[in-house]
Amino acid sequence: MTPGKKKLSYSYYPGCSLHASGREYDISTRALFKALNVGLKEVPDWFCCGATPAHNVDELLSLSLCAKNLSLADQVEGDLAVACAACFSRLKTTQHHLKEDETKRKQVEYAIDGPASLNKPVKHILEILAREYGLAKLEESVKKPLMGLKVAAYYGCLLTRPPEVPELDDCEDPSIMEDILRALGAEPVKWSHRMECCGANFTLSRPGVVLKLSNAILESARLAGADCIMVACPLCHGNLDIRQKEIKEAYGAPDSTLFGSIFGSDLPLSTTSEDRRDLPIFYITQLAALAMGVASQSLGFESVIIDPKPLLRDKQLL
Amino acid sequence: MKNKLMHLSNETMNVGFVKKVEALSGSSVRRCFQCGKCSAGCPMSTFMEHPPNRIVRLLQLGQGQRVLAGRSIWYCASCETCTTRCPNKVDLAAIMDALRKLSWDADGPSKESYVQLANRLFIENIRTYGRQYELRLGAIFNMKSGQFLKDLMLGPKLLSKGKLKMFHSKNRNIGDIEGIFKRIEEMRKKGEAL
Amino acid sequence: MSRIGVFVCHCGENISRTVDVEQVAKAAGEIPGVAYSCDYKYMCSDPGQTLLKKAVAEHKLDGVLVAACSPRMHEKTFRKAAESAGLNPYLCEMANIREHCSWVHEDREMATEKATGIVKLMVERVRKGKSLAPITVPVTKRALVIGGGIAGIQAALDIADAGHRVVLVERDPSIGGHMAQLSETFPTLDCSQCIMTPKMVDVANHPNITLYTYAEIEKVDGYIGNFQVTVKHKARSVDESKCTGCGVCMTKCPKKKIPNEFDQGHGMRPAIYVPFPQAVPNTPVIDRENCTMFQSGKCGVCAKVCGPGAVDYEQTDSFTVEDVGAIVVATGFKLYTIDRKPEDSPIQGYGEFGYGTIPDVIDGMTFERLASASGPTGGKILRPSDGKEPKQVVFIQCVGSRAREKGISYCSKVCCMYTAKHTMLYHHKVHDGQAYVFFMDARTPGKGYDEFWRRAVEEEEAVYIRGMVSRMYQKGDKIVVMGSDIQVGVQVEIEADLVVLATAVQAQDGADLLAQKLGISYDKYNFYSEAHAKLKPVECATAGIYLAGACQGPKDIPDTVSQASAAAAKVMTLFAKDQLERDPVVAKVNEKYCVGCFACKKVCAYGAIEEKEIRDRQGNLVKKVAYVNPGVCGGCGTCQATCPSKSIELDGYTDEQIMAMIEAL
Repeated sequence: MTPGKKKLSYSYYPGCSLHASGREYDISTRALFKALNVGLKEVPDWFCCGATPAHNVDELLSLSLCAKNLSLADQVEGDLAVACAACFSRLKTTQHHLKEDETKRKQVEYAIDGPASLNKPVKHILEILAREYGLAKLEESVKKPLMGLKVAAYYGCLLTRPPEVPELDDCEDPSIMEDILRALGAEPVKWSHRMECCGANFTLSRPGVVLKLSNAILESARLAGADCIMVACPLCHGNLDIRQKEIKEAYGAPDSTLFGSIFGSDLPLSTTSEDRRDLPIFYITQLAALAMGVASQSLGFESVIIDPKPLLRDKQLL
Repeated sequence: MKNKLMHLSNETMNVGFVKKVEALSGSSVRRCFQCGKCSAGCPMSTFMEHPPNRIVRLLQLGQGQRVLAGRSIWYCASCETCTTRCPNKVDLAAIMDALRKLSWDADGPSKESYVQLANRLFIENIRTYGRQYELRLGAIFNMKSGQFLKDLMLGPKLLSKGKLKMFHSKNRNIGDIEGIFKRIEEMRKKGEAL
Repeated sequence: MSRIGVFVCHCGENISRTVDVEQVAKAAGEIPGVAYSCDYKYMCSDPGQTLLKKAVAEHKLDGVLVAACSPRMHEKTFRKAAESAGLNPYLCEMANIREHCSWVHEDREMATEKATGIVKLMVERVRKGKSLAPITVPVTKRALVIGGGIAGIQAALDIADAGHRVVLVERDPSIGGHMAQLSETFPTLDCSQCIMTPKMVDVANHPNITLYTYAEIEKVDGYIGNFQVTVKHKARSVDESKCTGCGVCMTKCPKKKIPNEFDQGHGMRPAIYVPFPQAVPNTPVIDRENCTMFQSGKCGVCAKVCGPGAVDYEQTDSFTVEDVGAIVVATGFKLYTIDRKPEDSPIQGYGEFGYGTIPDVIDGMTFERLASASGPTGGKILRPSDGKEPKQVVFIQCVGSRAREKGISYCSKVCCMYTAKHTMLYHHKVHDGQAYVFFMDARTPGKGYDEFWRRAVEEEEAVYIRGMVSRMYQKGDKIVVMGSDIQVGVQVEIEADLVVLATAVQAQDGADLLAQKLGISYDKYNFYSEAHAKLKPVECATAGIYLAGACQGPKDIPDTVSQASAAAAKVMTLFAKDQLERDPVVAKVNEKYCVGCFACKKVCAYGAIEEKEIRDRQGNLVKKVAYVNPGVCGGCGTCQATCPSKSIELDGYTDEQIMAMIEAL
C-alpha cells in the first residue's frame, strides 16, 4: 500500500506480553496508530506464539502454534502488524521454515487441521513506521520534536537475527531505529551494546543471568551519554526496566560484587556508582506517540518502574 | 563426566543421536571446522561448562550423552548470534533447540531443572489458557522450584503497576489449541514426526 | 691526464637529507683529473641518464663515476648509459653513498665528509680502470636431467619437445619414481598410474631423449654451457639391446620371495625382476645380492630360458661421458621412518610409537600400495599382520615433521592432503569402517585443496581429532592409540586395527654427495638450495644447474610439475643463444711470475683453476702454471688474495686500483 493514496490499515497480533507486563507497549501502539490515522484491527482469539520456551524444546509445537495464529490473522484484512520482537521473530521463522521444508509443513498442517498461511506479510511496527508510513511523512507529522533527548536505540536479538528470517535490517549494523529517532527529532547515540542479548526469558528461571547481561547494556548506554534507552520488545523492556534497580544493587556499589563473583569477571567498562543514573526505558511507540503530540497520560508511563517523567520534564517534553 | 577419558569406536560413537539432531535442526554438524566464532560471540558462554563450539565438537564425536549431561544447552538464550555469524552456516541455535527437545523427551538427565521447569510451565499455560498467565507462571515456578521468596517484592509492585493481572480468562478457542497438542502427540506416537 | 665525470645523485631525499650533495659534487670537481662534476635529483631517471650521456660527449669524458646507491641496484643502468655514449661500460663505476653513508648516518657534516671520501677513492678506481670486453662461451645444446620421477620426466619432455636433446639418468631400474607408486592423487582422485604411465612411455619413445636407467652420476666437470658428466651404468646383468621384455626369466627364477621395494616390502618379487608391470624400460635387472647364481654360482635358470640370450652374468659397470650445456636436478625425496636411529644421528625415531616394531603401524606410502589396484593386496585394504580388513583405522599426521626434538622442524606440506585422501579411499573400500585422523593443523592451501579436506570430513565421515598421539601399543590384535582432543579437552583412546603414519618428507639418501659432485649448495636437511627464495626459485647459485621437485623441499605433484616446466624453460632460455655472454670480471694469471704452487686452485670455490703446462718450442715442459677458466670463474677474488707471488689478478679489482684507492684516502 502506498501512503497517501489509501488509508493504511493492518491486522494486529499483540501477543501475551502486550496484554500484561508490557501493556504500555500495547497502549502506546494503539495511541500512535490512531494519531497517525493508521488502522489497526486485533486478530480475534489469537493465542500465545509459544515464544522461546516452545521452540526451545519442541519446534513442531512452536511452528504449529504460530501457523494457527497466522491462519487466524488471515480472517482480518491487511498485513499483520506485530509489536513484540519475540512474536515477530516466531511468526516470521514459522513462515520461513514451512516455505523451505515440505515435511514440516505437512506435519504442521495436520496439527492445526488446516492449511498454513505462509504468504500473509508479517510486519514489525518499526518497518511500518519507517518504510510503509515512511520516514519523510513521519517527520512531517511530528508535532513535538524530541529535541535534546539522547536515546540509545536497543535492538536486542530477534529483530535482526538470523539474517534470512526477520528481513528487517542489516543483521550487524542496523539503522532503522536510529532513522526513526532522527525523524522524531531525537538524538540517537552511538553505543556498543545495541545488539547484545539482555538475558531474555532467563528472567524467570535464572535472573542472575539477566542481571549480568542487562547490566552490561545499561553501562554501555550510560557511557555513551544516553538519557534513556528505546526498545521494541517487551522482554527486553522487562529486563532493563523492571530489573534495573536490582542490577544497581548487584553491580552498583563497589563492594557488592555478589553476582560478579558468582558469574565470573566483572565488566571491562563500568561507570562509578555515582554515575549509575537511572535510565528510563521507552518503547519505540511511546516516544513516537509523544512526538506526535499524544497526551502523556495515555502512553502508560504509570506502568513502568523507572519513572521517565523527570527526564521528559527536564527536556521540556512534558 | 566432563574430563572422563573418551573411548572412540563405532560402538561408543552414537551416530543415531547425531543424525536425530541433524534432522531436527536441519543443520549439519560435520560442517563445523571448530573456528570458535560461535563461542566468541555467545553472551552465555561464561555460564556454560561446554561453550557452543565444544557442543558441536562433542556431537561430531558422537558424544550426545556428554552434551546432555551438562547444563550448557539450558543456558543458551536463543539469541541467534552464533547462527548469524557462523562461517559454515551451521545453525547452532537450531541445534540447541534440537538438543533441548531430545533432553526433554528423555526427561533428563539435565541438571538444569529451573529452566526446564520454566519451559514446561510456560507450555502448560498455553494448553490451559491459550495466552500466558504471567502471575500463575511466576507463582507456580516459585512453588515448584522451592524458591518461595524469589522476586517476592517484585510481584506486588508489578500488580500495582498493572503489569501483572490477578485474574486471567481462557481463550474462547481453547479447544482448537488442545487439538494442536493432541494431534502432535498422535503423530509422534505413530512415528510420523520427531 | 684523465677526464673523469662525477655525477652525485640526491636519490629524492634519500641521500640529500643527510649528505650535502652539492658540496660533494664541488669537492669532486677539485680532484685532479675530474673534468666535470654535478649533482642531480634522480640520476637513474631518464633525464638523469641523458645528463650523463650529454656530459660524456660535451666534456669528452674518458671515465664516469656515479655517486648514488649500491651498484647492485643500478650499476647495469649506468654502464648501459655510458656505453650508449661511446664509453667502455667497465669505465663506469658507482660510489655507494646511500647504503654505505646516508642511510646509516645522522650527522650531516660527517656524512658529507664520508661521502666525499668515498667519491675520492672511487675516482682513483675509475682512473686506473681498464676497458674490458664481455667473455663469450659456446653453449652445448643438450641437457642432462637427473632423476626419472614426475619432476625429471616433465622437465625432460618439455626440453625435448622444444627440440633439444636430453639425457635422462635414473638410479632405479625403471623411471616413474614415487608417483608411480601412488594409488589415486589429490584433489581430483584420478588414478596416479593412469596419468603417469603415458608420460613414461613418451619418455621412452621420444627421439630427443636418451634414457639411462639403473645409472648414476659419477663425476661432473665443466661449467654452464659446457658440462662433461660421467655417468655410471650399473651392471644390469641383462643386455638391453637383446632383451625383448617377454618376462620368462622372471617366471622361471626359482628365488621368488624377495620383498618388493616398489610395494614398500609388502609384495614379493624374484631375483631377476622389473619393479612393476608398467616399468619403463621393460627390461629386467638381476638383484645380485639375492641371486643364487651370483651368491653360490649354481643356478643360471634365467640365462637358460632366455630366448634372445640377453642374460649376461659377466656384465660389469660401465661409464659414459656426456657433454651437456645445462643440468636439471630432480632427485626427489624419501620418507622418514620411525625406527630407532643411530646414537649420533641428528634425527630420532619414535619410541612412543614402538620404533616401527608394531606390524600394523604402517606409513602413508604403504597405505598407497594397499589401496592401489596393482598393489600386493590387489587394491583391498588388508592389514599386514593377518590380512584382515581393518574396521578402525587411525591416521596420524605430522610424524617426524614439525617435531623439532626428533630433528625435523619443517612442515612436509603434502601429508594433510594425502591423509584426507587416504580416509576417502578407505571409506570407499571399507563401508563399515571408521577412519580417525589425529592432526595439529590442517594445512590445505591450494586450488580445491581445502574443499577436498572438508569433503573428507563432511561427506566421507572421517573423524578428525585435533591433538597429537602420545603413545601406542599392541594389545591382543588391536593397537591402543592414546591421544587427546584438545578442542574438547579430554584424553581420547582408540583401539585401532591399523595405524597409518604420515611420515615426514626427507631429502634422498646421498643428496649431499650428489650436491658436492655438482658443486651446488644444500641446507641442513640436505634439500638443495635455490639461488633466491622468491625470484630465482628454480636456479641454483651455480650457473647452468636448475632444480625441480622435492629435492629442493617437500612438494606435491602440481607444484613439482610446475617447477619442472619452469626449470625446462630456464634451460630453453639458455639454449636460445649459441654463445653465452659472461661478465668479464674474472681472474687472470700472469704466467711469467706464476710459480705453479696452486694455492689458488685449493681455495677456488668454483673449480675454475686448472693446471697448464708451459713448453718450449721443442716441446719440453718448462713449468706448470695456473690457468683460470673464464667460463667458470665467479670473480670472487679469493685467488688474488691467496697468491703468494702476486701473479693472479681480478679484472676490475687489480692491486693497482686498490692501492690507488687506499692512497686517495
